Amino acid sequence: MKSHITNNKLLDDNTLWSNLKVGDEKSFSLLFERYYKDLISYGNSLSPFEEKVQDCVQDVFADVWVYRNSLQENVVVKAYLLSSVRKRIARLFQRDHIFRKTTSTEAIEFLFDFSIENELVEDEVTAERVLYLNKLLNDLPPRQKEALYLRYHQGLAVEQIAELLDVNYQSANNLLYRGLLSLRKEWKGNLSFVLLLSSGVLQFS
Amino acid sequence: MQKRNNYTEIEDLLADESFQLWILSKIDEQGWEEWTLENRQRAKLVEDARLLLLAMKVPDVNLSPGEIHSALESTWKKIEEKENFYNISKSKIVYLRKYWLSGAAAILIISLASVWTFKKHTITGNTVVTYNELIEENNEGLVEQTNNSDISQTITLSDGSSVLLQPKSKLSYPKIFTGNERKVYLSGEGFFEISKNPKKPFFVYANEIVTRVVGTSFRIKAYQDQQNVEVLVRTGKVRVKSNSLVSNATNHEVVLLPNQALRFVRKDLVFNKITNITKDEVLVKSVGNIEQLSFEFNDIPIAQIFETIEQAYLVDIDYPKDKLSDCHLTTSLSDQPLPEKLKIICKSIGNDTNFEMNGNQITITSKGCN
Repeated sequence: MKSHITNNKLLDDNTLWSNLKVGDEKSFSLLFERYYKDLISYGNSLSPFEEKVQDCVQDVFADVWVYRNSLQENVVVKAYLLSSVRKRIARLFQRDHIFRKTTSTEAIEFLFDFSIENELVEDEVTAERVLYLNKLLNDLPPRQKEALYLRYHQGLAVEQIAELLDVNYQSANNLLYRGLLSLRKEWKGNLSFVLLLSSGVLQFS
Repeated sequence: MQKRNNYTEIEDLLADESFQLWILSKIDEQGWEEWTLENRQRAKLVEDARLLLLAMKVPDVNLSPGEIHSALESTWKKIEEKENFYNISKSKIVYLRKYWLSGAAAILIISLASVWTFKKHTITGNTVVTYNELIEENNEGLVEQTNNSDISQTITLSDGSSVLLQPKSKLSYPKIFTGNERKVYLSGEGFFEISKNPKKPFFVYANEIVTRVVGTSFRIKAYQDQQNVEVLVRTGKVRVKSNSLVSNATNHEVVLLPNQALRFVRKDLVFNKITNITKDEVLVKSVGNIEQLSFEFNDIPIAQIFETIEQAYLVDIDYPKDKLSDCHLTTSLSDQPLPEKLKIICKSIGNDTNFEMNGNQITITSKGCN
C-alpha cells in the first residue's frame, strides 16, 4: 500500500513538478507512475465506477500537463493531485443534473469500508480486537473515515486534508480527532488506548 | 534522527511511513522491533497502533506496471486531444485531422432585438433568470470574459469553437469542456461558431432560454435589460426551450429550420415562431458584419482572405506578405469556426504553414504556397 516509498525518490516531487512546468515529459511520466495507483485508490473510494475513475485520474494528469504554465510552483504535489481527483469526481456526479442545487463537493461520499489485514493477524485475541476496531472504524461518518484515510493511508498533513475537504484547519483536526475519539469511547476494553487517545487531544491542537 | 523517541500518541506512529512499512510489510529498516522492546509503555503504544493499522486496511489496487504504462499512454492521447484545441503547434498539427469534425454547420441567429427598455414591474421574480443565477448553477470552474471595449472580441473555446463577443457583453465557459455536454453562459450579444460534434451538444444559456445545437454558427443577443430574445437559423437544425430555472416554464421545445426564427417574449414566457425572416424589420436590422461577409472564396488572393477574416472577427493577422503574395485560394469557409477557417487556409497554402492564436492576435508562419 505504500509502494511509492520504495520507488526511486532521488528526484523529489517538487523537482519533478518544476521540471514538468518547463515542459519536461520525463518528469511528468515519473510523477504519473509515482501517484497513479494512489489516485486510483482514492478515486475508487469516492465512486463505484472504476472506468470513470480511471478517466478522471487521467484527465487530472492531462490538465496538469496542458496547463503546466499556470501551475503554482510550491505545492504539495500529492495533495494537489488527490484534491484534483476529488473535484473531478464531484463534478462527475453533478454533471447529469443541469440545474441541481447541490454544488459543493460535500455531496460526494467516502464509500469504502476498511477491511482487515487478515494475513497479519496471528492469534485469536488479536483477531477479536481487530475485528471490533474495524467495526468501529466503519461505523464512523464517511467524512471522518475519509480524513483518516487521507491522513494514514495517503500520508497527507492535517492542513492538506483541510484544504482538500474544503474546511478550516481546526475542522480537519476535529474530523480526525473525532474519528479516533469515537473509537476511544467505544473501545472500553483497552484502557491504555483510551488514555493515549485522550492525551492525543493536546497533540492535535 | 530519533524523532520517534518523542512519539507519545498512536497518531504519531500511524503517520510514520516507516512504522507502517514495518507493521504491514514486515520491513524493519529502522529497527522498530528493538525500539519497541526498549520500554513497556512504548510496547503498549506500538501494540495499539498495530491493531488499528490491522483494522484499517484499504482495498489494494491491483495495477501492474504494464497497466500503469498504458494508462500513461492514454493520458498522453488525452493531452494531444486537448492541446489540439489550445496550443496548436507545429509538432501537434498532424493530430488535428482526427479531431476536427467537419460537416455542414447551421447558422442560427439568436438576437434579442427589442430596443424597449425592460419594465421591471411586468416581470415577476421567479420568471426572470439572470446571468448571475445561471453562473451560480454551474460549478465547473468557469472562466468569464467581459468585453468592456467598444469593439468585438474573439474568444476561442477549448473545442475549437469561436465566439465573437460584442461590447458590453460577457461570456462564461469552462476552460475545458468535459463530459457529454458543452455549456456556456451569455449576457449580452455574441456571434457563435460552434465546431461540429454530435456526441457533445452545445448549449447556450442566455436569460430564460436554452439553445441546443450540435455544430452551427449563430448570434445571441440577450441583454439583461431587454425584453425579447430572438433566434434565427440559417442552415441546419436548432432546438430552443425555456430554462428549467423558470418556475412555471413549459417543457415546450421549439425546433427551428433554416430561415426560420423565433422570438421569445420574456415577460410572458411565450415563443413566437417567425417563418419569414425577411419581413421582420427588427431581425433584418440586426444582421452583423460577420453575417454579411461572404466566406466563399474563388481564386482569391490570400491577402484578401485574411482581410475578410480580420474584418469579420476583428482580429489582427500577421503573415509573411512577401512569401504569400502570389498565393490564391478557392475554398468555402462559411460553416467553420475561426480556428477551423485558419486551419483550412494553412493546410491549403502548404504543409509548412501554421498559425498561432493569442487573444485577438493571429500569427501565420509560412514558407510560401505549393
